[in-house]
Amino acid sequence: MTDSLRRLRVLIRRNALEIIRDPLSLIFLIGMPLVMEVLFYAIFHKLTAQFEMKYLAPGIAVFAQSFTTLFAGLLIAVDRGSAFLTRLYVSPARPFEITLGYALALIPLAFVQSVLFFAVGAVVDPSILSFSIVPAVLACVLTSLFFIGAGILLGSVCTEKSIGGAASALIAGQSVLSGMWFPLDGMGEGVVTAMKVLPFRNATLLVQNALNGTDDPRADIAVPLLIVLAYTAAVFVLAAVFSRPGRDG
Amino acid sequence: MNDTETAAPALPAIRTAGLRKEYGDTVAVEGLDLEIRDGELFALLGVNGAGKTTTIKMLTCLCRPTSGEAFVLGHSVTREPERIRPLIDVSMQETAVARNLTVEENIAFCAGLAGLGPEDAAAAREMLYRVFGLGSVKNKRASKLSGGWQRKLSVGLALVSAPRVLFLDEPTLGLDVIARRELWTAIRSLRGKMTIVLTTHYMEEAEALADRIGIMKDGRLLFTGTKEELFAVSGAGSVEEAFIRLVEGGTGND
Repeated sequence: MTDSLRRLRVLIRRNALEIIRDPLSLIFLIGMPLVMEVLFYAIFHKLTAQFEMKYLAPGIAVFAQSFTTLFAGLLIAVDRGSAFLTRLYVSPARPFEITLGYALALIPLAFVQSVLFFAVGAVVDPSILSFSIVPAVLACVLTSLFFIGAGILLGSVCTEKSIGGAASALIAGQSVLSGMWFPLDGMGEGVVTAMKVLPFRNATLLVQNALNGTDDPRADIAVPLLIVLAYTAAVFVLAAVFSRPGRDG
Repeated sequence: MNDTETAAPALPAIRTAGLRKEYGDTVAVEGLDLEIRDGELFALLGVNGAGKTTTIKMLTCLCRPTSGEAFVLGHSVTREPERIRPLIDVSMQETAVARNLTVEENIAFCAGLAGLGPEDAAAAREMLYRVFGLGSVKNKRASKLSGGWQRKLSVGLALVSAPRVLFLDEPTLGLDVIARRELWTAIRSLRGKMTIVLTTHYMEEAEALADRIGIMKDGRLLFTGTKEELFAVSGAGSVEEAFIRLVEGGTGND
């Protein structure tokens, strides 16, 4: 194993432990979305197709990922504020290893999140076992990259105090603009256009379509995937720019 | 080496030449010419905004000088930062620990980052337990420690990599008098084993610990020398009085 990989392993382990050992992060990343999944299904699935488990589980899986932005951002903002990040930048670790260490620590969490949401969904409504769960989980891992990158970006520009507000805006964006809670009919044209060009609805559609299958993979899988990946690339590039050592002076 | 040859003078641990750092219109450090000998404990004093922390940031490759040059153990901070980083470590003003990791895990983390093998990592851990007394809290998460213990851990973590040059930026800031004295004892035990650059607002700290003292004001170095030389230049009988006279008078020996 090279020195770089050894350092990366050390960074990933530390970052993962920091998040897993914070009870609040587990509540928001897993506990609360699971409760929402069960409750919303129980209350609404007979009233509207939107809350059938084949749409609800993917929607909740992506919604829960938006909290990754908050906790990744919080970890980095605290590391910056406490000079822990300075300690890392003075160490032999290179800046890209440090950024990658934050990102890779959170991908397994996104995987576990999505498996849990589909598993609980299958317990509540076993019919979703007949759908494509493995592609849906893989799609979840891809969409998680956007939220992780956004967390690294926000953590690099926000303080420990301001990160909550900034990440909440993104969580609200995912909640409102994903279209998972209410039908698009009746929404203004501007809102619908925003939903089409922003990553939130595209991330949800990608996972929903990966689970349910589609006759038009180009329009229903490739297009949302490319939009989400484009935003992912953008947030990681910005995160690399804003997280470089010495930015704070 | 034959009998007629004499040993070459040791390279200074740190040498700066015309070091300058600007932030927009503000000059944080100006024309800094400084030499710190290998193995000495050098205290850098100055009021807020004097340029101490900026100097440390440049010497630790955290920010690039606007002009001038600095060498750490013979390596340029602008051209060879990747050769400097494995040789140095820093403890900044803020406490820098992994909050949800235990003391033992924090030490293991820093050892892993420095690329230490299991034996060296164990030796570093035992050294921190001995010098800083961290063994008694080794299984506690850092976030559960008192401020004093967190500070000791933060300073101690900078020693895990066995740096040849250690930068301590106001290491006792915010500590009570007992914790400060304990940290002094720990820092004293490191004298001669590595080069230490210490910035502080506490004059008695510099007086108690430093081999040589540097005084900065408005980004410029006013004085470098021993305590005795400081007393001679200023006509004062204590570091605090000498510091006040030099900073208010604006003159020194540099």
